[in-house]
Amino acid sequence: MYKGAQIITEPIGKEGDLMVLNWGVQHPASGPMRIKVWLDGETIVKVENDPGYVTRNMEKMLEYRTWENAVVNVERICFIDDLGTILNWALAIEKLAEVEVPKNVEYFRVILAEVGRIVSHLIGVGGMFGALGVATPMMWVLSLREFYLDFLEHYSGYRISTAAIVPGGVRFEPTKEDMELLKKAIKETEKRWPEYKEVFKDNPTLVERYKGVGIIPKELVYKLGLRGPVARASGVAYDYRKTYPYSSYEDFNFNVVVKEEGDAYARFLVVLEEIEESVKIIKQAMEGMPEGDKWKVRVPKKIKAGETFSAVEWARGGIEYFVVSDGGTEPYRVKISAPSFMNIWALEYIAPGHKLADLATIFASLYICHGDLDR
Amino acid sequence: MDWGWILFKTLVFPGLTFLLLVIFATFYLERKLVADMHGRTGPYYVGPYGLLQTVADIFKILQKEVIIHREADKLLFLVVPAVAFFMVALVAAFIPYSETLWIVSTPYDLVISLALLTSLPAIFLFAGWVSKSKYPFIGGIRVINQLISGEIPLWLAGLSVALWYGTFNYVEIVQKFDLIGFLVNLVGFVIFLVAILIVADRPPFDIPEAEQEIVYGFLTEYTGVGYLLLAGAKFLEIFVLAAMTVTLFLGGFKGPFLPGWVWFLIKIFTVYYLAFAIRASTPRIRLDQLIKFTWNILVPLALLNIVFILVIKAL
Repeated sequence: MYKGAQIITEPIGKEGDLMVLNWGVQHPASGPMRIKVWLDGETIVKVENDPGYVTRNMEKMLEYRTWENAVVNVERICFIDDLGTILNWALAIEKLAEVEVPKNVEYFRVILAEVGRIVSHLIGVGGMFGALGVATPMMWVLSLREFYLDFLEHYSGYRISTAAIVPGGVRFEPTKEDMELLKKAIKETEKRWPEYKEVFKDNPTLVERYKGVGIIPKELVYKLGLRGPVARASGVAYDYRKTYPYSSYEDFNFNVVVKEEGDAYARFLVVLEEIEESVKIIKQAMEGMPEGDKWKVRVPKKIKAGETFSAVEWARGGIEYFVVSDGGTEPYRVKISAPSFMNIWALEYIAPGHKLADLATIFASLYICHGDLDR
Repeated sequence: MDWGWILFKTLVFPGLTFLLLVIFATFYLERKLVADMHGRTGPYYVGPYGLLQTVADIFKILQKEVIIHREADKLLFLVVPAVAFFMVALVAAFIPYSETLWIVSTPYDLVISLALLTSLPAIFLFAGWVSKSKYPFIGGIRVINQLISGEIPLWLAGLSVALWYGTFNYVEIVQKFDLIGFLVNLVGFVIFLVAILIVADRPPFDIPEAEQEIVYGFLTEYTGVGYLLLAGAKFLEIFVLAAMTVTLFLGGFKGPFLPGWVWFLIKIFTVYYLAFAIRASTPRIRLDQLIKFTWNILVPLALLNIVFILVIKAL
């Protein structure tokens, strides 16, 4: 259990006292990262994160792409919700080039970003069940996710890694069929949601396993700079969509889901309930879509020297770019600060004291994407 | 004594060949039924209704190289899977498929089956131990945890049936089975069902094989034939335990019109379906929660059940 904000740093036990378990790199639940676990029987004494097995040097790569081409790199920060990361890139470039996009583009970007959030959160909910060895919820949410992917495929030509948002606008004009597909997806979600919620939320075994496990107190959120659903589950109502609205988010009426408990179950609930809020936003955006036939404005090939900071609320938390231009056709320097890399360090504080079985659930509830962990 | 008939029973039905078929069928049924609950199709392309998918998979596993860990005890590592398979197959010999269709029938069927099943966890612990690897070792230790929590309700619930019918012999138990017997043993039936899920490491009690925690438990280091034998032993264990449930609580081969063994298989399918439905719907619990659950609820309930049966019998 969490005992003050402190990691055990001195060597623990004599040699042979504790079992050191390499939980990963090749482990069914770890993903491509290693977690070094010191075990006393079944109890976790100490945990050490060791990410970096799939590093791609994203930030360096961006320095060799033109402003628009960089979109396809940025979206690969995490393919599950690629739209939030491209949106942030587009916003950063527009800020740098001092370009204003029309209102209808902003609304459609909101739709795309929220679709990305839903797609990501659905997998998140399934994955949290997957950590308990039951695959049914994952299959159910994947079948629901297909409706959203159909929309993305029809709009952009790709199911994931869509490159749908570009600096200065969106890639294509959304057609009537696109919107019909989105409506169908929303309708299907609303039809299935009561059943899903009943099965997922009140699942007695899930509650037994997740409740009171891996409690992150508020102080730790501030200390480590935790973001997204993890921070909001610990009672920190921080959401870029509300605190620093971008892309016309101030026009929409939605709630920031906040839970006070800070345990794994609260994180699960935050992810689950944010899907409902996203559906709400998409419906509002579709109804209130302003008239306009301009879907892309011109962004200069060379952007004048300067630097900018841009942040959006992505599925896994706030993602921030700091972009520097030296007046050329490509970025001079890009710094990305992504939520998973911040959130993973909470594991070292909250896992000790739990059983080995809880490591999988705590890890799943931190809602990590390995793509953005090792950019 | 007709030796030909005995040989046929031992080697073909309900003996070795049938047991191998059972492994195939369990594997296939589990995939197909769980896929149905997932909203998927399951095996589809290989053979009619994907029936040959399992065959293909098993032959794929057979082709795998047998890799033995450098530090592992080579002899024990190779022997343990065969022993495990043999032990479970021994239990299967006692199952009566009809009035006459059984391989062995003694006055102590139930006790021998339970004793053999209780000695299985020790074999699995060995499998984890001789692998000389961390995840199998933890898996082996967790098997003992299952033993502590699962076997006692299993024995208590199983023996309460013997108490009611006054015999350990499976055939006699089935012959004495009637509606009153079924109703009296209903609580025992539920306890036994939960206990077989624990003993066979079925979800939500699949703690020794918890993939997300300890990879594959004691099976982690095994490949090829060794893996197949161990995994086969696990599948057979499910079959044997389901068969015991059917024999003890659901009237075994008894049923109108159809031959005994057909009824037997239908009833086993029902138990299977229940186990697979539980697998598809219930997340795994933690090992301390399991011990709490069995010792606070299941064991007292099983003891009360025995008292209840004694009282009813005395009336």
